[in-house]
Amino acid sequence: MIGATLSRWTLSYFASAVAFLLAAEALMVLGFGYPGSALRSPETLVLVHCVAIGWLSLLMCGALFQFVPVLVAKPIHSNTLPLPALLLILTGLGALIAGFLQLAGYLPPNASVFMAASVLLGAGFLLVLWNLGRTLAAAWPLNLPARFVTIGLASVAATVTFGVLFTLGFAGEAQGPFLLELRARGLPLHFIAGLGGWLTFTAIGVSHRLLAMFMLSPELEGASTRWTFYLGTLALAIVVIGGVVAIAVGGRLDVVLLGAGLVGLACLALYARDVVQLYRKRVRPVIELNSRMAGVALGQLAAAALLTSAAAALGVVDRFGGALVFLVAFGWLSGLGLAKLYKIIAFVTWLECYGPVLGKTPTPRVQDLVVEPRARRWFWLYFAAVDAATLCLALEATLIFRVAAAAMLLATAAIALEFIRTRRLSNVKAALRLPTGTRLPRLLFTFVAS
Amino acid sequence: MTDFVDLDVRPILRSGGEPFAKIMEAVQGLAPGQGLRLLATFKPTPLLHVLGSQGFTHEAKEIGGGDWQVEFTPTAGAASAAPGARATTPASDTWPTPVREMDNRDLDPPEPMVRILAATESMAKGEVLAALLCREPIFLFPELAKRGHGWRGGFEPDGKTYRVLVRIGAGAGAAA
Repeated sequence: MIGATLSRWTLSYFASAVAFLLAAEALMVLGFGYPGSALRSPETLVLVHCVAIGWLSLLMCGALFQFVPVLVAKPIHSNTLPLPALLLILTGLGALIAGFLQLAGYLPPNASVFMAASVLLGAGFLLVLWNLGRTLAAAWPLNLPARFVTIGLASVAATVTFGVLFTLGFAGEAQGPFLLELRARGLPLHFIAGLGGWLTFTAIGVSHRLLAMFMLSPELEGASTRWTFYLGTLALAIVVIGGVVAIAVGGRLDVVLLGAGLVGLACLALYARDVVQLYRKRVRPVIELNSRMAGVALGQLAAAALLTSAAAALGVVDRFGGALVFLVAFGWLSGLGLAKLYKIIAFVTWLECYGPVLGKTPTPRVQDLVVEPRARRWFWLYFAAVDAATLCLALEATLIFRVAAAAMLLATAAIALEFIRTRRLSNVKAALRLPTGTRLPRLLFTFVAS
Repeated sequence: MTDFVDLDVRPILRSGGEPFAKIMEAVQGLAPGQGLRLLATFKPTPLLHVLGSQGFTHEAKEIGGGDWQVEFTPTAGAASAAPGARATTPASDTWPTPVREMDNRDLDPPEPMVRILAATESMAKGEVLAALLCREPIFLFPELAKRGHGWRGGFEPDGKTYRVLVRIGAGAGAAA
């Protein structure tokens, strides 16, 4: 069939993701992990993986199961496989966290936990890749946004491979000389492939299309968009392939990362140009909250790129690395994620509930499912708190950082409550809420007639 | 090597015509194992889906001046299927002139879909609705299928306007 239907398990991914974000913020409020502990301490690893896998990766997977079919105008390969994939990733992440807690001394040592984490996470992400890969392969040749997603998926494959190798090391397995060297020096490759390739590059590709769709702007297919793709792909290839080669031959990794950084910066500059075009050429004069807040998140990405460049020029990346990664993870990726969730949840809920009766009976508009003025305040509090927390990290003001994290937690909880209200149609006027032939959507999954 | 039949629909497209019937006629006229080499003024994405569902693989390339060449190659299943059995809409079936025309290009999504579905509810079986959109209405198609309507659609030569025709109660949809 031509066209796209609703993804059955996307809401389950979103709910798990938001739960992990809230948990990670709560840990920061409690002073668990960086900056209270060292950047590479097991406590910080717990925190980082709650955010990177639990929140951001599950969010991205859930979004891709819904939007890859839209990008390529083909149905998803399987609307069932996302559930076992989710369960594998969740149990794998649980095992990984348990492993880190062992290293930190909270749990008695048991190396099989790391082994389990490797297998479960590897299998979970493999299922995600298989499902999305088959969907993309059926749509060959790919349009530009789908090609961004493909490179994003290659990056998550690289990230998970590095992660599995590190985890096997904790389990005492895979001890060849190259692997020992990779574990000693390869950490930047793992997190650049994850934060840069998988999360940022995929978000760039998807945002091109989503921003154009929600603001009625002309689609981007010009030379600058193509070069954003080529340069980003090149930068990631330099990091992953160049980085592994440098480690294998004992070469200098910093030179490789600097080269990739310069190419990546050019990619981001072109992306910035495209984004400004999208906002300028839009047909809608007044844009919705999700597009406005996505704009704020894009500003945070620009700030992170400029600050990282400045820190590199001054030779102080190591000193401010924690603050910069924090800004990328929470200002850019999480900010964009929360903003887009606000729209996506409303849209899929509207389509699920009212799609069958559209045109037959009066139905609410998508915007009737949300109350933007109420949510707006929480989004501003969220971004203000993230920037304050970033500043605290840069200034090593650990105690004030926890206050800022509390403000992030409060704002995120309030936004999550708005998601639940949208899903339960709480904001829709009673007269229109559930016309004959409709039923209230479930909170955690989507009913899809097959 | 596949033997290709050439079909150039660029003159039809340039004069504002609808080449779908012509293309399906050519497809049905193919001998077993024969392929179709199509020349068009834009990449005919919906047609790729339609012929794909009939067992053709395709290779599309831009040939300059914004024109596209697409080579459709039959797979084993397509060659043995009886013509007509594999077409969702018979090639000879020309649709009546639309009784309603809508321009939904400046509406916020999903308003274009809502208006099209509302219009279909007030129309009689066999009537055709035409609508202009600014993108392929991906979420509309499953909804039309559920309600038993047929559709054809494709991008206009400008590559920006998507024109969809909906025929009330016409069963499975096709596109070109």
